[in-house]
Amino acid sequence: MKEHLKTQLAGFFISVTLINVAMFVLGIMLQPDYRFGYEAFAYPLIYGVIGSVPGLVMYSKKELTVWQTLIREFIQMVLIVALIIAFMFGRFHITREYVPQIIGVSLSVMIIYVLVHVFSWLMDLKTASKMTEDLKAFQAKASGEK
Amino acid sequence: MEITVKTIGGTEKEYIEIGCHRKDERVDEIIRFIRSREGILKGTKEDRQYNIPLPDILYIEAVDEKTFIYLEKDCYESGRRLYEFESALISRNFARISKSVIVNLMKINSIKPSLNGRFSCVLTNGEQVIISRKYVPDIKERLKGGSV
Repeated sequence: MKEHLKTQLAGFFISVTLINVAMFVLGIMLQPDYRFGYEAFAYPLIYGVIGSVPGLVMYSKKELTVWQTLIREFIQMVLIVALIIAFMFGRFHITREYVPQIIGVSLSVMIIYVLVHVFSWLMDLKTASKMTEDLKAFQAKASGEK
Repeated sequence: MEITVKTIGGTEKEYIEIGCHRKDERVDEIIRFIRSREGILKGTKEDRQYNIPLPDILYIEAVDEKTFIYLEKDCYESGRRLYEFESALISRNFARISKSVIVNLMKINSIKPSLNGRFSCVLTNGEQVIISRKYVPDIKERLKGGSV
């Protein structure tokens, strides 16, 4: 569980950064004249937390296979999209005007979700390469080569 | 048969060389004896019991209350539990990498990232075994510390 929390926390910080970028890009495209107060600084954090909740719920003690993991990841992504849409648009009566915004937000969430995984994978790639380096040193030492 | 023992420097790798006209049963017996000194495990295959030298083992896996010992090409069953192997082999370059697998660290070619914060060990025979998230910090520490 501790390791799962660490992974979720790293995902949270990457998400917050990417949500900032997405808000900037979507804002420029859809509502360039809209002005925010200081509360705007809290939105990426709130969205980051919302995005992390399904990840905590989806924790499994079992060792999942690659397919089980992929299916879980997909379900998690759909849950995050649903939660963010509900949080952003739940209080409004949905009309046609909202459809482009809902599609834009959904696509952004999906892109962010994929990017979070890409960045995490790149970090893991670096870790794996360091572990392989340490492994080779360990094997050399164990076989007496030094 | 002449026997020569040569003392070598502490930094050099220890070795045993056998000079023979041909590799027959007698030589195989000597090899088996030397390998048994490195440690052996007992495993069964098709109702026959075998002595498996530790350096030949790739990994040991527990599946449905049974324990299997995997070599490059063969697989043997053992009556021992995984935790028993873990405590017996920790000082022999073996490490627990998930709830069900103990791997021979000397048989890993490389480590690569897998999904969901896990890592995958590519073994010398091309097979891959997963290091689960829980065991990643221990493996990192073990490899970094170089405790042999």
